Amino acid sequence: MIHIEQIRKSYNGTRGLDSFSLRIGAGELCGLVGPNGAGKTTLIKILATLLPPDGGQATVAGIDVTQNRAAIKALVGYMPDQPGLYQDMRVKEFLEFFADAFRISGARRSDAVDHGLQRSGLAERSAAFVEELSFGMKQRLLLAKTLLHEPKVLLLDEPATGLDPLARIDLRQRLRELSNQGLTILVSSHILADLEEICDRVALISEGRNAVDASGQSVLEMQPAKPQAAMYEIEVLGEIQPAVAVVGSIAGVRVLQSEGQALLVEIAGGPSNAAALLRAVVGSGLDVVRFERPSLTLEQRYRQIFGGGRQ
Amino acid sequence: MNPMVRKELRQRMRERKGWILPSLYLFVLSAITVLAYYGVAFTSGQEVQGFQVGVALFFAAAYAQLCLLLLLVPIFSAAALTIEKEQRTLAGLLTSLLRAADIWWGKFVASLLFVLLLLVAGLPVVSAAFAFGGIGPWEVFMMTLTTLLILASISACGLYWSSAFRRSVHATAVTYVTVVALTVVTFVVFFITESLRGAHDWSTMPASVKVPLYFNPIFFLTMAFAPPRELYPEWGACAAVYLAIALLSVLLTLHNLRRAGEGT
Repeated sequence: MIHIEQIRKSYNGTRGLDSFSLRIGAGELCGLVGPNGAGKTTLIKILATLLPPDGGQATVAGIDVTQNRAAIKALVGYMPDQPGLYQDMRVKEFLEFFADAFRISGARRSDAVDHGLQRSGLAERSAAFVEELSFGMKQRLLLAKTLLHEPKVLLLDEPATGLDPLARIDLRQRLRELSNQGLTILVSSHILADLEEICDRVALISEGRNAVDASGQSVLEMQPAKPQAAMYEIEVLGEIQPAVAVVGSIAGVRVLQSEGQALLVEIAGGPSNAAALLRAVVGSGLDVVRFERPSLTLEQRYRQIFGGGRQ
Repeated sequence: MNPMVRKELRQRMRERKGWILPSLYLFVLSAITVLAYYGVAFTSGQEVQGFQVGVALFFAAAYAQLCLLLLLVPIFSAAALTIEKEQRTLAGLLTSLLRAADIWWGKFVASLLFVLLLLVAGLPVVSAAFAFGGIGPWEVFMMTLTTLLILASISACGLYWSSAFRRSVHATAVTYVTVVALTVVTFVVFFITESLRGAHDWSTMPASVKVPLYFNPIFFLTMAFAPPRELYPEWGACAAVYLAIALLSVLLTLHNLRRAGEGT
């Protein structure tokens, strides 16, 4: 649905994007993470037709974002990082204005506005002025406005910034629901736990380029989380010391950590060595209740990739 | 109706200045007209004919109206686009199906309609001159048309500055500088050129000396009171200059709006 190939963009001689590439399939919920100034907002603005790229190509549903801007605008719903709302408009007026701005007319207009009010949970406050709403309500109103014209693609730039925990949970649920309804979503955020929970994949960006993790991946699979190679967690019933002794005596296996009734071990070689380890542990009479490859959280992986220069 | 026009009008009429400014404007215009009446009727020291009072009242009201509106127009136009940047709503407009021309038209019509409201509200005051004679509907029509043309051009100019700057305060200041340049600087340039060239007779004055005056709104309004057959070339030249200013402003504003995404 979204194809970005070697996209470049500079501002006054400073590179905002430097040959960044990404492909997002239809119905996919893709996260975009990177440090401040990495180029996330620039990329999203290019896809939303707000910025023309200097080079490379970006297409949405096969349409070049620089060639047919009106078609892209009809396909895309864009929610900026700093929400802009007309504070002196009433909630319903705000949605009606954008329904008109998206050329929604007749019965479709009132349906779209009513649906927007229901979707944002603001039906009972439709006559209230926008300035009277809480930040979370405003964010919901903005999302409802973004969805008014039933876009196929959602571009969300840091939508969870400033939201309280309940509002964040609500936003996560809404995004997952929208993804399940078939919308393609690209969402940038610094709240990695949220992305980890809802995204199918997360793209890494740094200094305008595709960033890669230790295994050379620039797009991380989130669901299911990709396990880290060669590390295993073993949990046994009873004392842990016999298990440490058994595991430690097996060639190619190193005990990294033992805590409570669990062991973290590193196994040299492939899955066959892991199977051999399991056989040995069970064969020694230990009651194994868990044997699995641990997964790094997105936050841990982020720190590995981007945290080098920072404390 | 263009949704931008509806939105702008609704928002403008909700603002406090939506009723304060027309009230102040009418108060000042009425006060100037009353002062002009007393000035002509009671201080000239000789018997004054009714039509003389009418003409004096009309000119006082017409020029006062133009000056007042020249002061007010930047308030309506220069902040029109910068406010969208300041409250971060421009991105929402640019990513909707509204074209740059729709956005411009909505802003322009809203600011001009407000000026038109003031102009219409002032008509009874200006038309008080009818009671004394000396003034006909033609003069009122030409005064209204010329004032509107000037204000439309200044509005377009203000919108251009509004598209060029990020802050309302800067756009408004530069629009006022433009108004002062057109109103005062053109007179100064004309008088300097006239003195240097020694060309004091208007009928034989070279066009190059007259040119600065064609940009001057006061001169433009004065030319509107010429008899219909004498409107060309002076009034026509002024109208062409103001239309050119408006057209250039529109094109530059649309250009800025199409690349306004970088400032969102």
